[in-house]
Amino acid sequence: MSWLLNLYETYEANVDLVGKIETKHNDQEYTLLPVSHTTQNAHIEVEITEDGEFHSASVIDKSDANTIIPCTENSASRAGAVIAPYPLHDKLSYVAGDYVAYGGVIKKEEPFSYYIKQLEQWADSPYAAAKVKSIYRYLSKGRLIQDLVDCKILYADTEHRLIDKWDKHAEEMYGARPPIFSVVTGELTSAFVRFNVYSSSGNILTKVWKDREMYDSFIRFYSSQLGDEDLCYVTGKTLPATDKHANKIRNAADKAKLISANDTSGFTFRGRFHHSHEAASISYEVSQKAHNALKWLINRQAKIIDQRVFLVWSNDDQHIPSIDEDLYSIAPIPAVKEKISFTNKEFASEVAKAMDGYRNRLSSSSGDKVNILVLDSATTGRMAVLYYRNMDKELYLDRLVDWHSTCVWLHRYRKDDNGDVVQFYGAPATRDIAFAAYGPRASDKIVKGLMERMLPCIIDGRNIPSDIISSSFHRTSNPEAMDRWEWEKTLSITCALINKKLNYRREGFNVALDTENNDRDYLFGRLLAIADVLERRALGADETRATNAIRYMSAFSRHPARTWKTIQDCLQPYQARLGTKGIYLSKIIDEVASRIPADKFTNKPLSEVYLLGFYSQRHELYQKKENNDPAETSI
Amino acid sequence: MRNSIEFVVYGDYALFTDPLTKLGGEKLSYQVPTYQALKGIVESIYWKPTLIFYIDAVRVMNPIRMESKGIRPMDYGGGNTLANYTYLRDVRYQVRAYFEFNMNRPDMAYDRNEFKHHNILKRSLKAGGRRDIFLGARECQAYVEPCVFGEGDGFYNNYGDIHLGSMIHGINYPDETGRNQLEVRLWNPVMKNGIIQFIRPEQCTQVRLITDMVPKHFDRTNVITSDELLAQLEEGGNP
Repeated sequence: MSWLLNLYETYEANVDLVGKIETKHNDQEYTLLPVSHTTQNAHIEVEITEDGEFHSASVIDKSDANTIIPCTENSASRAGAVIAPYPLHDKLSYVAGDYVAYGGVIKKEEPFSYYIKQLEQWADSPYAAAKVKSIYRYLSKGRLIQDLVDCKILYADTEHRLIDKWDKHAEEMYGARPPIFSVVTGELTSAFVRFNVYSSSGNILTKVWKDREMYDSFIRFYSSQLGDEDLCYVTGKTLPATDKHANKIRNAADKAKLISANDTSGFTFRGRFHHSHEAASISYEVSQKAHNALKWLINRQAKIIDQRVFLVWSNDDQHIPSIDEDLYSIAPIPAVKEKISFTNKEFASEVAKAMDGYRNRLSSSSGDKVNILVLDSATTGRMAVLYYRNMDKELYLDRLVDWHSTCVWLHRYRKDDNGDVVQFYGAPATRDIAFAAYGPRASDKIVKGLMERMLPCIIDGRNIPSDIISSSFHRTSNPEAMDRWEWEKTLSITCALINKKLNYRREGFNVALDTENNDRDYLFGRLLAIADVLERRALGADETRATNAIRYMSAFSRHPARTWKTIQDCLQPYQARLGTKGIYLSKIIDEVASRIPADKFTNKPLSEVYLLGFYSQRHELYQKKENNDPAETSI
Repeated sequence: MRNSIEFVVYGDYALFTDPLTKLGGEKLSYQVPTYQALKGIVESIYWKPTLIFYIDAVRVMNPIRMESKGIRPMDYGGGNTLANYTYLRDVRYQVRAYFEFNMNRPDMAYDRNEFKHHNILKRSLKAGGRRDIFLGARECQAYVEPCVFGEGDGFYNNYGDIHLGSMIHGINYPDETGRNQLEVRLWNPVMKNGIIQFIRPEQCTQVRLITDMVPKHFDRTNVITSDELLAQLEEGGNP
């Protein structure tokens, strides 16, 4: 199904959440906007009685400023000198009838006359709610600024003009700077006013901008005003069409539109068609609902990297495991299993169990789809869909299980909530893969490109692009260039990628040491690990310098036989220092080396597999040290 | 079906632009080819004004994948802008199509010889088409080969139904409908196990009038006959 239709259906499925304010982790508020509504930061709140008299006014605190306001197509996209009032709440220059009387400068015509005419239409229509009528009755008197001055929200100077800047002169007259001047940035005339109706009879009324009845009132009024009907390319129904579509999709400052038409300069649709409405049409309702749903979803669960939006959602339940997370953040329980001698099959079933949690919760209605959408814009004005897939959620979860159970290795770079390092076995996050392949200073641009390229690998089970694997492989083989923690992280992620590549060829490895494996590269990797551990033990806990094995790693991967001779020569003093304690390690060096046939003990460069041998052997030795220390020393 | 051909068309990229994304210039492909795009491919294999091609069905062989590219489209006044186009990647479709005679072209009545056209069509297909083949957009080159429709393994063989929502079916041109109008047809295809069975253009109920248009008229005044052309060539002049 098309992405717009899916967004539209998401809106319909979540209609009960319309207007309900939710907060993000950074306390920013967001909501699923009603049709024909948008949000604005208001500065002044004016209370009006039910009979249309002024009651009180206050300056709004910044934390409470976000207001849902009704809007028309024209007002939503007004810019520059265009006069297009919002239907109810608006800037002072629109809503105050005595704006000119108080020295307001207008360019051509008075905005208030347009505003009040529009409000009158709404108030007189059969759809008008009582609150609209009260507000209209008050505003038609045209004395808003006067009332605001009277209750000391705004101030007028001696010449009966509104004070725009709080200078020394004003301070002499009135004293300290009033709060309105710290709330409004720029000119005072752009102060945004919102209206509320105050019940004198003591009933507590819902705030006008949170009142569902008001939303419905305006939606009905406005839909009766909509223009010509046309065939909607999204639903296939004949509905009132629009050619103005939403911006501010990723954030409030985002001008990029998903649907726009501008063929005065570029070759986009001209040729067969002369006008944009000939090339395609979309109904007002679908455009509004789809864009509102998209904004809501992006606020709620999208990952944004360098302005590129990665969004995964399902129509009914939005909580779908995302593709860009590592297994630990999706399912921490099976991921922290201490035991790592799992076969892949056992591990896969553990991951499947973890995913079943999602599967069960999602199984309420069969045939659910999971949508994956990637958005980005090349220029400021337009935004493109870079990737769109909608797939069966069963298939999606199966693919995630597959990914998280084949692209696996043992990682120790994550920290839990207490800040302690946790060890987890599973797939790394795509973001971490980018850092492994391109270094920790990889720009956001590169990270987002890699994340997009990884999508097909995860959800279609395709091969990981070989440049990503080889880049992380070469970085890992050069540990001297990195800090120790960074190298460890790169190493385990690279092992996961290599493991995934081998899994694709059905040759997957486990972290647990495979003592039966006689692969040349694997054995060379083991040798390097033993040399590393031996020297590290001889150096003791206080000495942190890199071992010879690590320092020669880069050379070792390219000329293993020759470099091994150097490493082994370097080992001799440490073997001597360890004395009898080193015998065990020396023995396994001999054992491993003896298994490399003489004709394979050459300088042919090592394949990626050596890293797996290195990691597994080192892991094995450290395990030994922790668990069977007495047994080991007795050898 | 008589006068039918079955072929496979494949290419690295395809762009069956969703018209809603075309307006702004950031093109996004539909997930499957439109009827009109496939009709264009068949017409590139072989076409005469005598014929109208109809597409029976398309079978999507490869998984639907998308890949975006940064593009520098041209501006009217020279120079260029930046845009992201999102293509389908690595596509392969089996198509079954057939032709009927265009009854709105009485001037071509003398050319209505089914067997001749069918045989030329099959020969042209074997040769890979008479004109170059592209998938949706000119930059997406493709290849055609004869095949048996339904043969071979497809990714969506046991996938069940995929509802594709509202999609463009194709465009009605006056010389094919007999109405002096340009129209766009929409429909709601369902892909069943990878196969989309197309309805015929006249069966589409969602038809949108775009503009008035008259078919281009051809007669002796604006068509040069091959005999005349040959004569000119022999004189050594360049027509």
